[in-house]
Amino acid sequence: MIQFENVCKSYGDIEVVKNLNLTIHEGERLVLLGPSGCGKSTTLRMIAGLEDITSGSLYMGNKKVNDVPSGIRNVSMVFQNYALYPHMNVVNNITYGLKVKKIPKAEIKKRLDFALEMLQLKGYEKRLPKDLSGGQRQRVALARAIVKQSDYFLLDEPLSNLDARLRVSARKELLRIHEQFKQTFVYVTHDQIEAMTVGNRVALMYKGEIQMVDTPENVYQRPVNIFTAKFIGSPPMNILDATFHQDRLMIGMQSIILNEEWIQHIFDSKVKNFAFGIRPGHLEIVTVPQKNSLKAKVKYVENHGNNYAVYTDIEGSEMIVMSDKKDWYPGEMVYVNPDSTKIHLFDKETTETIGQPVVKENKFLNRVLV
Amino acid sequence: MKTNPLIGLSWHLVFIVLIFILLFPIIFAVGTSFRPLEDAYNNVLQFIPLHPTFENYEAFFTSLDVARIMMNTFFIAAGITIFKVVTSFLAAYAFVYLDFKGKNLLYFLFISTMFIPFAVTMIPNYLVLSDIGLTDSVWGVMLPQFADAVGIFLIRQSMKTIPPSLIEVAKVDSIGHWLIMKDIVLPLVKPAVTSTGIWFFILAWNEYVWPVLILKNVENFTLPLALQMYISSEGGTNFTVAMAVSVITMIIPLTLYLFFQRYIIGTFTSSGIK
Repeated sequence: MIQFENVCKSYGDIEVVKNLNLTIHEGERLVLLGPSGCGKSTTLRMIAGLEDITSGSLYMGNKKVNDVPSGIRNVSMVFQNYALYPHMNVVNNITYGLKVKKIPKAEIKKRLDFALEMLQLKGYEKRLPKDLSGGQRQRVALARAIVKQSDYFLLDEPLSNLDARLRVSARKELLRIHEQFKQTFVYVTHDQIEAMTVGNRVALMYKGEIQMVDTPENVYQRPVNIFTAKFIGSPPMNILDATFHQDRLMIGMQSIILNEEWIQHIFDSKVKNFAFGIRPGHLEIVTVPQKNSLKAKVKYVENHGNNYAVYTDIEGSEMIVMSDKKDWYPGEMVYVNPDSTKIHLFDKETTETIGQPVVKENKFLNRVLV
Repeated sequence: MKTNPLIGLSWHLVFIVLIFILLFPIIFAVGTSFRPLEDAYNNVLQFIPLHPTFENYEAFFTSLDVARIMMNTFFIAAGITIFKVVTSFLAAYAFVYLDFKGKNLLYFLFISTMFIPFAVTMIPNYLVLSDIGLTDSVWGVMLPQFADAVGIFLIRQSMKTIPPSLIEVAKVDSIGHWLIMKDIVLPLVKPAVTSTGIWFFILAWNEYVWPVLILKNVENFTLPLALQMYISSEGGTNFTVAMAVSVITMIIPLTLYLFFQRYIIGTFTSSGIK
């Protein structure tokens, strides 16, 4: 178990991690996700012992490790650039750390063979890193981390330097390693797909602060704030300013009438200005107004291969709608139907979600007045 | 793009002239060292020996204990080189990989010693050495030269090109500084260490002013001091012998340079000094 308690990290006046509280359970795969410069790598490096902790406490296995040197924290680390020793061949790269630790030769051999087998590196034993492909180098770095058989596996953007196809297979490899050894995985990435596929839980960071820690499903379906809502999902969730007036949600001059549960929920929240959020995939674009339609103007269409992202303008705000059809033309007036069960409301001031109302019956949105 | 062949040709001419100017003293020294003294006097510029003779070399080898002088030179040069390389490597490692208070200030102070002229430190160094009784000793020549900011600078530049993650991965694997130094950093900065060493060796081998101050007895002399005996007022003007001594003095640094020139040029260009 790894536990951060009010951990801060600053370089001079710059605070890169602010008051971090996070518990990473034994044997789970936790992904630290966020845009570059959000402090996720620093967080990982604090676990590895490569960065000092400015204030707060870090516990690993119930022991405070603030001042415990990196080498005895029992962690394995995989770096984005793999950090292979350029002058050592594959075998020496993998076993160097073990030799230094004076692990018996037979044991080293056993672990080496296992790792070479598992990561399909047989036949490359004598090669230098410069004679390996990117994927092979990455597997050597993984093999080096595996043979250490440590309790914690720290991965700092381990797949970022691979091409898209290799990344998918390397991801499977990682999950296989975790199946095998059940170490505690802490995985840093800026790629949300990677986060979703690798993580049991995802910790989303932004500007040195944790925004949300939850399962990938919840991070996607129940974002706690606007940042989370916009960061997860591609294209990002549409966020439009909205106010609540009598019994309806006003988006510019258009409005959505909400059901009783939502109305009660909004009253209870005591929030005045809202941000209305809905994912592009939870909208339907039509030419004839229906009961729930918002009027919109097409700006342009982006081809996503299997479908099309239609960028529309609703009351001066952008709304992206996914469509199977590509025949939408700039300037065309269309109607957009939100999936009434998939809307999100955030407090515009705090950017926090107001949560979902308690579901009584399955009809949230009624109709739209234009 | 086509360039005018005349431009290429004229550049070649410029280079040929430059190379001739640079090589002339060496050719002159080698040629003259094989000529009898009178012959050389009568026709100085006709430096190709028509009647080659070894008498100048013989004169040098019979008048002085040349083996001893060469040993002195080698001992001093090798000693200075080893000490300078070791201290430079250790200091560079500390400046790159260790964190301590005042690191940048200390580095700045180290580097600024490069700009202190030898003439400034010469007298104080001499006084200290005479106080501890090391004048007229090869150790006296070596002692003030056990560390060199140029070496720290060059090796540090080379260390800084090693990705930090290499060192970090070793730290995570609980590999200590000595092993990191020996097994990871040293193999990766070997070219810089080698060329810095060669550079130090050549400088120490050719050193003149400082040994002249320290060494009194001929038996402690180095080759450049022996050479001086043949061209100074007391040594007479037997310049053909002087040329023979020059040639002997030149051989070792030249050979080293020829063997390691690839490293040396690489290090100086990659560190931005040329």
